[in-house]
Amino acid sequence: MTGGRQATVVGIGYSSVHRELGVDTRPLVVDASLAAVRDAGLTPAEIDAVFEYPGAGSQLATNVQRLLGIGDLTAYGDLGGSGPSGLAAAMAAVAAVESGACDVALVFRSVNREWGQQSGKIVVPPAANAAQFSLPYGDFGGIIPSMGLRKYRRLAELGGSEEDYGQIALNARTWAAMYERGVLTKPLTMDEYLSSRFVAEPLRLLDCDYPVTGACAAIITTAERARDLAGRPVTIDSVAFGTGSRPDWTFSDDLLFGGTIGCARRLWEKSRVTAADVDVAELYDGFTHITISWIEALGLCGIGEFGDWVDGGKRIGPGGALPLNTNGGQLAAGRLHGLAFLTEAVAQLRGDCGNRQVPDARVAVVANAHGPQCGAMVLIRE
Amino acid sequence: MILQIPTEETRMSKPAPIPDQASAFFWEGAARGELLVQHCADCASFQYPPTVICEKCQSRDIRPTRVSGRGTLYALTVMHQAFLPIFAENLPFTIALVDLDDAPGARLLTNIVDANPADLTAGDPLEVVFEPRGDYAVPQFRPAGPALGGAA
Repeated sequence: MTGGRQATVVGIGYSSVHRELGVDTRPLVVDASLAAVRDAGLTPAEIDAVFEYPGAGSQLATNVQRLLGIGDLTAYGDLGGSGPSGLAAAMAAVAAVESGACDVALVFRSVNREWGQQSGKIVVPPAANAAQFSLPYGDFGGIIPSMGLRKYRRLAELGGSEEDYGQIALNARTWAAMYERGVLTKPLTMDEYLSSRFVAEPLRLLDCDYPVTGACAAIITTAERARDLAGRPVTIDSVAFGTGSRPDWTFSDDLLFGGTIGCARRLWEKSRVTAADVDVAELYDGFTHITISWIEALGLCGIGEFGDWVDGGKRIGPGGALPLNTNGGQLAAGRLHGLAFLTEAVAQLRGDCGNRQVPDARVAVVANAHGPQCGAMVLIRE
Repeated sequence: MILQIPTEETRMSKPAPIPDQASAFFWEGAARGELLVQHCADCASFQYPPTVICEKCQSRDIRPTRVSGRGTLYALTVMHQAFLPIFAENLPFTIALVDLDDAPGARLLTNIVDANPADLTAGDPLEVVFEPRGDYAVPQFRPAGPALGGAA
Protein backbone atom coordinates (compact mmCIF):
# COMPACT_ATOMS: atom_id res chain seq x y z
CA MET A 1 0.00 0.00 0.00
CA THR A 2 1.30 3.46 -0.89
CA GLY A 3 -0.03 6.95 -0.40
CA GLY A 4 -3.00 5.67 1.54
CA ARG A 5 -4.58 4.05 -1.50
CA GLN A 6 -5.03 0.32 -0.85
CA ALA A 7 -5.61 -1.91 -3.86
CA THR A 8 -8.59 -4.18 -3.38
CA VAL A 9 -10.30 -6.80 -5.52
CA VAL A 10 -14.03 -6.15 -5.73
CA GLY A 11 -15.16 -8.41 -8.55
CA ILE A 12 -14.28 -11.57 -10.45
CA GLY A 13 -15.76 -13.17 -13.54
CA TYR A 14 -15.34 -16.10 -15.92
CA SER A 15 -16.41 -17.04 -19.40
CA SER A 16 -17.40 -20.53 -20.42
CA VAL A 17 -14.37 -22.79 -20.93
CA HIS A 18 -13.90 -24.75 -24.17
CA ARG A 19 -11.86 -27.80 -25.16
CA GLU A 20 -12.58 -27.56 -28.89
CA LEU A 21 -10.46 -25.60 -31.35
CA GLY A 22 -11.52 -22.56 -33.33
CA VAL A 23 -13.47 -20.74 -30.63
CA ASP A 24 -13.57 -16.94 -30.98
CA THR A 25 -12.38 -15.46 -27.68
CA ARG A 26 -14.02 -12.06 -28.15
CA PRO A 27 -17.43 -13.10 -26.77
CA LEU A 28 -15.64 -14.91 -23.96
CA VAL A 29 -13.58 -11.96 -22.81
CA VAL A 30 -16.72 -9.83 -22.92
CA ASP A 31 -18.58 -12.43 -20.82
CA ALA A 32 -15.81 -12.65 -18.23
CA SER A 33 -15.36 -8.88 -18.04
CA LEU A 34 -19.07 -8.13 -17.71
CA ALA A 35 -19.41 -10.85 -15.06
CA ALA A 36 -16.59 -9.23 -13.06
CA VAL A 37 -18.10 -5.75 -13.47
CA ARG A 38 -21.52 -7.01 -12.31
CA ASP A 39 -19.96 -8.93 -9.44
CA ALA A 40 -18.42 -5.66 -8.26
CA GLY A 41 -21.74 -3.84 -8.46
CA LEU A 42 -20.38 -1.54 -11.15
CA THR A 43 -21.22 -0.64 -14.72
CA PRO A 44 -18.68 -0.62 -17.59
CA ALA A 45 -18.87 3.18 -17.66
CA GLU A 46 -17.21 3.27 -14.24
CA ILE A 47 -14.08 1.44 -15.48
CA ASP A 48 -11.19 3.83 -16.12
CA ALA A 49 -8.32 1.38 -16.71
CA VAL A 50 -7.84 -1.93 -18.54
CA PHE A 51 -4.84 -4.23 -18.28
CA GLU A 52 -4.26 -7.62 -19.88
CA TYR A 53 -1.49 -10.11 -20.62
CA PRO A 54 -1.42 -10.69 -24.39
CA GLY A 55 -0.87 -13.90 -26.29
CA ALA A 56 -2.68 -16.18 -28.71
CA GLY A 57 -6.40 -15.83 -28.13
CA SER A 58 -6.15 -12.57 -26.27
CA GLN A 59 -7.52 -9.19 -27.16
CA LEU A 60 -5.77 -5.88 -26.69
CA ALA A 61 -6.92 -3.88 -23.70
CA THR A 62 -8.27 -1.18 -25.99
CA ASN A 63 -10.18 -3.73 -28.10
CA VAL A 64 -12.01 -4.86 -24.99
CA GLN A 65 -12.53 -1.25 -23.97
CA ARG A 66 -14.31 -0.73 -27.30
CA LEU A 67 -16.31 -3.95 -27.09
CA LEU A 68 -17.58 -2.96 -23.64
CA GLY A 69 -18.29 0.65 -24.62
CA ILE A 70 -15.93 1.97 -21.95
CA GLY A 71 -15.00 5.65 -22.33
CA ASP A 72 -11.57 7.23 -22.37
CA LEU A 73 -9.10 5.29 -20.24
CA THR A 74 -6.74 6.93 -17.77
CA ALA A 75 -4.45 3.88 -17.67
CA TYR A 76 -4.10 0.74 -19.79
CA GLY A 77 -1.55 -1.80 -20.89
CA ASP A 78 -0.83 -5.10 -22.56
CA LEU A 79 1.74 -6.65 -20.25
CA GLY A 80 3.27 -9.27 -22.49
CA GLY A 81 6.68 -10.63 -23.21
CA SER A 82 8.54 -10.94 -19.97
CA GLY A 83 5.90 -10.55 -17.26
CA PRO A 84 4.41 -13.01 -14.77
CA SER A 85 1.73 -14.26 -17.21
CA GLY A 86 -1.90 -13.48 -16.39
CA LEU A 87 -1.09 -12.11 -12.96
CA ALA A 88 1.01 -9.37 -14.62
CA ALA A 89 -2.18 -7.55 -15.59
CA ALA A 90 -3.41 -7.54 -11.99
CA MET A 91 0.01 -6.44 -10.72
CA ALA A 92 0.00 -3.51 -13.14
CA ALA A 93 -3.51 -2.61 -11.99
CA VAL A 94 -2.38 -2.58 -8.35
CA ALA A 95 0.40 -0.14 -9.21
CA ALA A 96 -1.94 2.04 -11.24
CA VAL A 97 -4.65 2.10 -8.58
CA GLU A 98 -2.29 2.74 -5.66
CA SER A 99 -0.40 5.48 -7.53
CA GLY A 100 -3.61 7.28 -8.38
CA ALA A 101 -3.22 6.77 -12.13
CA CYS A 102 -6.68 5.21 -12.17
CA ASP A 103 -9.52 4.36 -9.82
CA VAL A 104 -11.22 1.24 -11.16
CA ALA A 105 -9.23 -1.23 -13.25
CA LEU A 106 -10.50 -4.16 -15.27
CA VAL A 107 -7.91 -6.91 -15.70
CA PHE A 108 -8.38 -9.98 -17.84
CA ARG A 109 -6.61 -12.94 -19.41
CA SER A 110 -8.07 -14.43 -22.53
CA VAL A 111 -6.36 -17.44 -24.03
CA ASN A 112 -7.10 -20.07 -26.63
CA ARG A 113 -6.33 -23.76 -26.83
CA GLU A 114 -4.32 -23.23 -30.00
CA TRP A 115 -1.71 -21.33 -27.98
CA GLY A 116 1.32 -23.56 -27.56
CA GLN A 117 0.65 -25.16 -30.93
CA GLN A 118 -2.17 -27.49 -29.98
CA SER A 119 -3.88 -26.86 -33.27
CA GLY A 120 -1.73 -29.25 -35.30
CA LYS A 121 -0.32 -26.44 -37.41
CA ILE A 122 3.32 -26.06 -36.48
CA VAL A 123 5.19 -22.95 -37.45
CA VAL A 124 8.89 -23.13 -36.65
CA PRO A 125 10.84 -19.89 -36.61
CA PRO A 126 14.35 -19.60 -38.08
CA ALA A 127 17.19 -20.72 -35.78
CA ALA A 128 18.22 -17.10 -35.32
CA ASN A 129 18.67 -14.79 -32.33
CA ALA A 130 18.04 -16.70 -29.08
CA ALA A 131 16.68 -19.67 -31.05
CA GLN A 132 20.11 -20.33 -32.63
CA PHE A 133 21.12 -21.84 -29.28
CA SER A 134 18.07 -24.12 -28.93
CA LEU A 135 16.41 -25.06 -32.23
CA PRO A 136 19.44 -26.84 -33.77
CA TYR A 137 19.31 -29.24 -30.81
CA GLY A 138 15.62 -30.03 -31.26
CA ASP A 139 14.72 -27.85 -28.28
CA PHE A 140 11.31 -26.55 -29.30
CA GLY A 141 7.81 -26.67 -27.84
CA GLY A 142 7.89 -23.65 -25.54
CA ILE A 143 9.48 -24.35 -22.19
CA ILE A 144 8.64 -28.06 -22.20
CA PRO A 145 12.22 -29.33 -22.69
CA SER A 146 13.45 -26.92 -20.01
CA MET A 147 10.84 -28.33 -17.64
CA GLY A 148 12.15 -31.83 -18.35
CA LEU A 149 15.63 -30.56 -17.48
CA ARG A 150 14.33 -29.00 -14.27
CA LYS A 151 12.60 -32.17 -13.12
CA TYR A 152 15.72 -34.22 -13.88
CA ARG A 153 18.01 -31.84 -12.03
CA ARG A 154 15.73 -31.51 -9.02
CA LEU A 155 15.53 -35.28 -8.60
CA ALA A 156 19.34 -35.47 -8.93
CA GLU A 157 20.15 -32.54 -6.65
CA LEU A 158 17.40 -32.45 -4.05
CA GLY A 159 16.25 -36.06 -4.12
CA GLY A 160 12.63 -36.95 -3.70
CA SER A 161 10.65 -39.13 -6.04
CA GLU A 162 8.39 -38.94 -9.04
CA GLU A 163 5.50 -39.50 -6.65
CA ASP A 164 6.18 -36.02 -5.23
CA TYR A 165 5.31 -34.55 -8.62
CA GLY A 166 2.38 -36.91 -8.89
CA GLN A 167 0.85 -35.49 -5.72
CA ILE A 168 0.43 -32.13 -7.46
CA ALA A 169 -1.31 -33.82 -10.41
CA LEU A 170 -3.59 -35.97 -8.23
CA ASN A 171 -4.49 -33.03 -6.01
CA ALA A 172 -5.59 -30.99 -9.03
CA ARG A 173 -8.10 -33.65 -10.09
CA THR A 174 -9.46 -34.00 -6.55
CA TRP A 175 -10.29 -30.32 -6.33
CA ALA A 176 -11.50 -29.98 -9.94
CA ALA A 177 -14.14 -32.62 -9.27
CA MET A 178 -15.74 -30.13 -6.86
CA TYR A 179 -15.48 -27.15 -9.22
CA GLU A 180 -18.28 -26.24 -11.59
CA ARG A 181 -15.77 -25.16 -14.24
CA GLY A 182 -13.52 -28.18 -13.77
CA VAL A 183 -12.35 -29.72 -17.04
CA LEU A 184 -10.51 -32.91 -16.04
CA THR A 185 -12.68 -34.05 -13.15
CA LYS A 186 -12.02 -37.79 -13.11
CA PRO A 187 -9.91 -38.81 -10.11
CA LEU A 188 -6.33 -39.71 -10.94
CA THR A 189 -4.41 -42.55 -9.29
CA MET A 190 -0.68 -42.52 -8.69
CA ASP A 191 -0.36 -45.54 -10.99
CA GLU A 192 -2.06 -43.58 -13.76
CA TYR A 193 0.26 -40.64 -13.16
CA LEU A 194 3.34 -42.86 -13.17
CA SER A 195 2.25 -44.58 -16.37
CA SER A 196 1.37 -41.41 -18.27
CA ARG A 197 3.62 -41.00 -21.28
CA PHE A 198 6.88 -39.14 -21.18
CA VAL A 199 6.97 -35.92 -23.15
CA ALA A 200 10.47 -34.75 -22.17
CA GLU A 201 11.54 -37.54 -19.80
CA PRO A 202 11.33 -37.34 -16.84
CA LEU A 203 8.55 -34.81 -17.60
CA ARG A 204 5.29 -36.68 -18.15
CA LEU A 205 2.13 -35.64 -19.94
CA LEU A 206 0.36 -35.34 -16.58
CA ASP A 207 3.01 -32.90 -15.33
CA CYS A 208 1.68 -30.44 -17.94
CA ASP A 209 -1.40 -28.27 -17.73
CA TYR A 210 -4.43 -28.72 -19.97
CA PRO A 211 -4.98 -26.22 -22.79
CA VAL A 212 -8.43 -24.65 -23.07
CA THR A 213 -10.07 -21.62 -24.60
CA GLY A 214 -11.58 -19.18 -22.13
CA ALA A 215 -11.25 -15.97 -20.19
CA CYS A 216 -11.33 -14.69 -16.65
CA ALA A 217 -11.36 -11.18 -15.26
CA ALA A 218 -11.13 -9.17 -12.06
CA ILE A 219 -11.88 -5.63 -10.94
CA ILE A 220 -9.31 -3.83 -8.80
CA THR A 221 -9.99 -0.52 -7.08
CA THR A 222 -9.18 1.27 -3.83
CA ALA A 223 -10.38 0.10 -0.41
CA GLU A 224 -12.12 3.45 -0.09
CA ARG A 225 -14.11 2.95 -3.29
CA ALA A 226 -14.76 -0.67 -2.32
CA ARG A 227 -16.66 0.47 0.77
CA ASP A 228 -19.31 2.03 -1.46
CA LEU A 229 -19.78 -1.10 -3.55
CA ALA A 230 -22.04 -4.08 -3.10
CA GLY A 231 -19.30 -6.69 -3.50
CA ARG A 232 -17.22 -8.21 -0.72
CA PRO A 233 -13.73 -6.75 -1.04
CA VAL A 234 -10.47 -8.65 -0.69
CA THR A 235 -7.33 -6.67 0.16
CA ILE A 236 -4.22 -7.06 -1.98
CA ASP A 237 -1.82 -6.95 0.94
CA SER A 238 1.47 -7.52 -0.87
CA VAL A 239 2.73 -7.77 -4.43
CA ALA A 240 6.18 -8.87 -5.56
CA PHE A 241 8.00 -9.59 -8.81
CA GLY A 242 11.05 -11.78 -9.32
CA THR A 243 13.38 -12.60 -12.19
CA GLY A 244 16.44 -14.23 -10.63
CA SER A 245 19.91 -12.82 -11.22
CA ARG A 246 20.43 -14.29 -14.69
CA PRO A 247 16.90 -14.47 -16.04
CA ASP A 248 16.39 -17.07 -18.74
CA TRP A 249 14.20 -20.17 -19.05
CA THR A 250 17.22 -22.30 -20.07
CA PHE A 251 20.46 -20.47 -19.25
CA SER A 252 19.47 -19.29 -15.78
CA ASP A 253 21.98 -19.42 -12.95
CA ASP A 254 19.22 -21.02 -10.85
CA LEU A 255 17.47 -23.52 -13.07
CA LEU A 256 15.48 -25.10 -10.24
CA PHE A 257 13.96 -21.98 -8.68
CA GLY A 258 14.60 -19.08 -11.05
CA GLY A 259 13.12 -15.90 -9.62
CA THR A 260 10.76 -17.61 -7.17
CA ILE A 261 12.99 -17.31 -4.09
CA GLY A 262 13.69 -13.58 -4.42
CA CYS A 263 10.06 -12.93 -5.31
CA ALA A 264 8.85 -14.81 -2.24
CA ARG A 265 11.31 -13.01 0.04
CA ARG A 266 10.11 -9.60 -1.14
CA LEU A 267 6.47 -10.71 -0.92
CA TRP A 268 6.75 -11.55 2.77
CA GLU A 269 8.90 -8.49 3.54
CA LYS A 270 6.06 -6.29 2.29
CA SER A 271 3.24 -8.30 3.84
CA ARG A 272 1.65 -7.88 7.24
CA VAL A 273 1.28 -11.66 7.53
CA THR A 274 3.72 -14.55 7.24
CA ALA A 275 3.86 -17.88 5.48
CA ALA A 276 2.55 -19.47 8.68
CA ASP A 277 -0.68 -17.46 8.33
CA VAL A 278 -1.62 -18.79 4.89
CA ASP A 279 -5.00 -20.54 4.83
CA VAL A 280 -5.13 -21.37 1.12
CA ALA A 281 -2.51 -21.32 -1.66
CA GLU A 282 -3.17 -20.87 -5.37
CA LEU A 283 0.18 -21.52 -7.03
CA TYR A 284 0.91 -21.71 -10.73
CA ASP A 285 0.82 -25.25 -12.10
CA GLY A 286 1.54 -24.91 -15.78
CA PHE A 287 3.97 -27.69 -14.87
CA THR A 288 4.10 -29.58 -11.58
CA HIS A 289 7.72 -28.54 -11.01
CA ILE A 290 6.61 -24.92 -10.82
CA THR A 291 4.14 -25.56 -8.02
CA ILE A 292 6.71 -27.45 -5.95
CA SER A 293 9.19 -24.60 -6.47
CA TRP A 294 6.73 -22.02 -5.19
CA ILE A 295 5.75 -24.08 -2.14
CA GLU A 296 9.39 -24.24 -1.12
CA ALA A 297 10.34 -20.70 -2.21
CA LEU A 298 7.42 -19.24 -0.25
CA GLY A 299 8.64 -21.04 2.85
CA LEU A 300 5.54 -23.18 3.18
CA CYS A 301 8.13 -25.91 3.66
CA GLY A 302 11.93 -26.01 3.46
CA ILE A 303 13.90 -26.29 0.21
CA GLY A 304 13.89 -29.92 -0.87
CA GLU A 305 11.35 -30.90 1.81
CA PHE A 306 8.23 -30.94 -0.34
CA GLY A 307 8.05 -34.74 -0.54
CA ASP A 308 7.83 -35.22 3.21
CA TRP A 309 5.75 -32.11 3.75
CA VAL A 310 3.02 -33.05 1.27
CA ASP A 311 2.32 -36.16 3.33
CA GLY A 312 0.95 -38.32 0.55
CA GLY A 313 -1.24 -35.44 -0.62
CA LYS A 314 -3.12 -35.01 2.65
CA ARG A 315 -1.53 -31.64 3.38
CA ILE A 316 -2.81 -29.98 0.21
CA GLY A 317 -6.15 -31.72 -0.31
CA PRO A 318 -9.62 -30.95 1.04
CA GLY A 319 -9.42 -30.79 4.82
CA GLY A 320 -5.63 -30.54 4.71
CA ALA A 321 -3.52 -28.03 6.61
CA LEU A 322 -2.71 -26.10 3.41
CA PRO A 323 -5.33 -26.53 0.69
CA LEU A 324 -3.64 -25.97 -2.69
CA ASN A 325 -5.11 -25.04 -6.07
CA THR A 326 -8.65 -25.43 -4.86
CA ASN A 327 -10.29 -25.25 -8.29
CA GLY A 328 -7.98 -27.81 -9.87
CA GLY A 329 -5.54 -25.22 -11.19
CA GLN A 330 -4.47 -25.29 -14.79
CA LEU A 331 -3.77 -29.02 -14.61
CA ALA A 332 -7.46 -29.82 -14.20
CA ALA A 333 -9.51 -26.64 -14.68
CA GLY A 334 -7.62 -25.64 -17.82
CA ARG A 335 -4.97 -23.14 -18.74
CA LEU A 336 -6.52 -19.71 -18.23
CA HIS A 337 -2.90 -18.72 -17.78
CA GLY A 338 -2.29 -17.22 -14.43
CA LEU A 339 -5.13 -14.90 -13.59
CA ALA A 340 -7.45 -17.71 -12.45
CA PHE A 341 -5.20 -18.29 -9.42
CA LEU A 342 -6.11 -14.79 -8.30
CA THR A 343 -9.83 -15.14 -9.00
CA GLU A 344 -10.01 -18.50 -7.19
CA ALA A 345 -8.19 -17.02 -4.18
CA VAL A 346 -10.72 -14.19 -4.08
CA ALA A 347 -13.62 -16.65 -4.28
CA GLN A 348 -12.15 -18.66 -1.39
CA LEU A 349 -11.60 -15.59 0.80
CA ARG A 350 -15.17 -14.45 0.13
CA GLY A 351 -16.50 -17.86 1.15
CA ASP A 352 -18.15 -18.47 -2.21
CA CYS A 353 -16.75 -21.92 -2.95
CA GLY A 354 -19.51 -24.25 -1.86
CA ASN A 355 -18.35 -27.81 -1.23
CA ARG A 356 -14.73 -26.95 -2.01
CA GLN A 357 -14.69 -24.01 0.41
CA VAL A 358 -11.70 -23.86 2.76
CA PRO A 359 -13.31 -23.15 6.16
CA ASP A 360 -12.82 -19.58 7.35
CA ALA A 361 -10.11 -18.81 4.80
CA ARG A 362 -8.70 -15.35 5.57
CA VAL A 363 -5.20 -15.30 4.02
CA ALA A 364 -4.35 -16.54 0.53
CA VAL A 365 -1.08 -16.58 -1.35
CA VAL A 366 -1.07 -16.49 -5.15
CA ALA A 367 2.02 -17.07 -7.30
CA ASN A 368 2.58 -17.06 -10.99
CA ALA A 369 4.94 -18.46 -13.60
CA HIS A 370 8.55 -19.37 -12.83
CA GLY A 371 12.09 -18.76 -14.02
CA PRO A 372 12.51 -15.20 -15.28
CA GLN A 373 8.80 -14.29 -15.06
CA CYS A 374 7.82 -14.57 -11.38
CA GLY A 375 5.02 -12.70 -9.64
CA ALA A 376 3.11 -13.25 -6.41
CA MET A 377 0.47 -11.69 -4.17
CA VAL A 378 -0.86 -12.02 -0.66
CA LEU A 379 -4.61 -11.50 -0.36
CA ILE A 380 -6.45 -10.90 2.89
CA ARG A 381 -10.13 -10.80 3.84
CA GLU A 382 -10.42 -8.02 6.38
CA MET B 1 10.52 -6.98 -48.43
CA ILE B 2 8.68 -10.04 -47.26
CA LEU B 3 10.49 -12.18 -44.73
CA GLN B 4 9.86 -15.81 -45.58
CA ILE B 5 9.54 -17.75 -42.35
CA PRO B 6 10.49 -21.38 -42.93
CA THR B 7 8.00 -23.91 -41.64
CA GLU B 8 8.31 -27.64 -41.26
CA GLU B 9 6.45 -28.00 -44.53
CA THR B 10 9.36 -26.35 -46.32
CA ARG B 11 12.23 -27.44 -44.11
CA MET B 12 13.81 -30.67 -45.32
CA SER B 13 16.72 -30.85 -42.89
CA LYS B 14 17.45 -30.12 -39.26
CA PRO B 15 17.71 -26.42 -38.50
CA ALA B 16 21.15 -24.91 -38.96
CA PRO B 17 22.11 -22.02 -36.71
CA ILE B 18 21.85 -18.52 -38.12
CA PRO B 19 24.74 -16.66 -36.45
CA ASP B 20 24.69 -13.02 -35.45
CA GLN B 21 27.59 -10.65 -34.98
CA ALA B 22 28.25 -11.80 -31.43
CA SER B 23 27.92 -15.54 -32.08
CA ALA B 24 29.62 -15.99 -35.45
CA PHE B 25 32.91 -17.09 -33.82
CA PHE B 26 31.10 -19.86 -31.95
CA TRP B 27 29.49 -21.44 -35.00
CA GLU B 28 32.50 -20.87 -37.24
CA GLY B 29 34.70 -22.51 -34.62
CA ALA B 30 32.34 -25.45 -34.38
CA ALA B 31 32.55 -25.85 -38.16
CA ARG B 32 36.34 -26.27 -37.71
CA GLY B 33 35.81 -28.74 -34.88
CA GLU B 34 36.75 -26.25 -32.17
CA LEU B 35 34.69 -25.26 -29.14
CA LEU B 36 35.07 -21.58 -28.26
CA VAL B 37 33.32 -19.52 -25.60
CA GLN B 38 33.56 -15.89 -24.59
CA HIS B 39 36.11 -15.07 -21.90
CA CYS B 40 36.23 -11.58 -20.39
CA ALA B 41 39.69 -10.01 -20.57
CA ASP B 42 38.84 -7.73 -17.65
CA CYS B 43 37.10 -9.91 -15.07
CA ALA B 44 38.02 -13.37 -16.40
CA SER B 45 34.38 -14.57 -16.50
CA PHE B 46 33.28 -17.10 -19.06
CA GLN B 47 29.80 -16.86 -20.50
CA TYR B 48 27.38 -18.65 -22.79
CA PRO B 49 25.42 -18.01 -24.98
CA PRO B 50 27.65 -15.47 -26.71
CA THR B 51 26.47 -11.89 -26.45
CA VAL B 52 27.71 -8.34 -26.97
CA ILE B 53 29.15 -7.55 -23.55
CA CYS B 54 30.42 -9.26 -20.40
CA GLU B 55 27.30 -9.83 -18.33
CA LYS B 56 29.38 -9.70 -15.12
CA CYS B 57 31.43 -6.50 -15.54
CA GLN B 58 30.04 -4.96 -18.76
CA SER B 59 33.44 -5.03 -20.43
CA ARG B 60 33.37 -5.01 -24.21
CA ASP B 61 36.64 -6.93 -24.26
CA ILE B 62 35.24 -10.42 -24.42
CA ARG B 63 37.42 -12.78 -26.37
CA PRO B 64 36.55 -16.05 -28.06
CA THR B 65 38.62 -18.63 -26.22
CA ARG B 66 39.11 -22.22 -27.22
CA VAL B 67 38.30 -24.74 -24.51
CA SER B 68 39.09 -28.44 -24.23
CA GLY B 69 35.57 -29.66 -24.91
CA ARG B 70 35.47 -31.56 -21.66
CA GLY B 71 32.28 -31.03 -19.69
CA THR B 72 30.11 -32.26 -16.87
CA LEU B 73 26.47 -33.24 -17.16
CA TYR B 74 24.21 -30.79 -15.30
CA ALA B 75 20.84 -32.12 -16.45
CA LEU B 76 19.29 -34.01 -19.33
CA THR B 77 15.84 -34.64 -20.75
CA VAL B 78 14.90 -37.36 -23.18
CA MET B 79 12.54 -36.08 -25.84
CA HIS B 80 9.76 -38.54 -26.63
CA GLN B 81 7.76 -36.10 -28.70
CA ALA B 82 9.15 -34.28 -31.71
CA PHE B 83 7.98 -30.70 -31.37
CA LEU B 84 10.09 -30.13 -34.48
CA PRO B 85 8.80 -32.79 -36.90
CA ILE B 86 12.21 -33.09 -38.56
CA PHE B 87 13.46 -34.67 -35.33
CA ALA B 88 10.79 -37.39 -35.33
CA GLU B 89 13.13 -39.92 -36.93
CA ASN B 90 15.57 -39.41 -34.05
CA LEU B 91 13.12 -40.10 -31.21
CA PRO B 92 13.94 -40.58 -28.47
CA PHE B 93 16.82 -38.09 -28.42
CA THR B 94 18.51 -36.34 -25.54
CA ILE B 95 18.78 -32.62 -24.80
CA ALA B 96 21.17 -31.66 -22.01
CA LEU B 97 22.79 -28.83 -20.12
CA VAL B 98 26.54 -29.32 -19.86
CA ASP B 99 28.98 -27.30 -17.73
CA LEU B 100 32.35 -26.77 -19.43
CA ASP B 101 35.18 -27.99 -17.21
CA ASP B 102 37.69 -25.31 -18.16
CA ALA B 103 35.21 -22.43 -18.52
CA PRO B 104 33.39 -22.17 -15.19
CA GLY B 105 30.09 -20.35 -15.62
CA ALA B 106 29.61 -21.48 -19.22
CA ARG B 107 26.75 -23.98 -19.47
CA LEU B 108 25.73 -25.18 -22.93
CA LEU B 109 22.39 -26.46 -24.10
CA THR B 110 23.29 -29.39 -26.30
CA ASN B 111 22.53 -32.99 -27.22
CA ILE B 112 23.91 -36.16 -25.72
CA VAL B 113 24.94 -38.68 -28.39
CA ASP B 114 26.48 -42.16 -28.40
CA ALA B 115 25.00 -43.01 -25.01
CA ASN B 116 21.93 -44.49 -23.41
CA PRO B 117 20.71 -41.61 -21.23
CA ALA B 118 19.56 -44.13 -18.60
CA ASP B 119 23.24 -44.95 -18.04
CA LEU B 120 24.09 -41.31 -17.24
CA THR B 121 23.73 -39.29 -14.08
CA ALA B 122 24.27 -35.63 -13.26
CA GLY B 123 27.96 -35.00 -12.74
CA ASP B 124 29.15 -37.50 -15.34
CA PRO B 125 32.14 -36.48 -17.50
CA LEU B 126 31.43 -35.72 -21.15
CA GLU B 127 33.38 -34.64 -24.21
CA VAL B 128 32.39 -32.62 -27.23
CA VAL B 129 31.78 -33.92 -30.74
CA PHE B 130 30.52 -31.93 -33.72
CA GLU B 131 27.64 -32.69 -36.06
CA PRO B 132 27.88 -30.82 -39.38
CA ARG B 133 24.81 -28.68 -39.96
CA GLY B 134 24.54 -26.48 -43.04
CA ASP B 135 27.55 -24.17 -43.24
CA TYR B 136 28.36 -24.78 -39.58
CA ALA B 137 28.41 -27.60 -37.04
CA VAL B 138 26.53 -28.21 -33.81
CA PRO B 139 28.52 -29.12 -30.69
CA GLN B 140 27.16 -32.21 -28.97
CA PHE B 141 28.49 -34.29 -26.12
CA ARG B 142 29.17 -37.97 -25.48
CA PRO B 143 30.52 -39.82 -22.46
CA ALA B 144 34.17 -38.90 -22.00
CA GLY B 145 36.81 -41.39 -22.96
CA PRO B 146 39.94 -41.85 -20.89
CA ALA B 147 41.80 -38.57 -20.38
CA LEU B 148 44.60 -37.97 -22.85
CA GLY B 149 47.80 -39.23 -21.38
CA GLY B 150 45.86 -41.98 -19.73
CA ALA B 151 46.30 -43.60 -16.39
CA ALA B 152 49.74 -45.00 -15.80
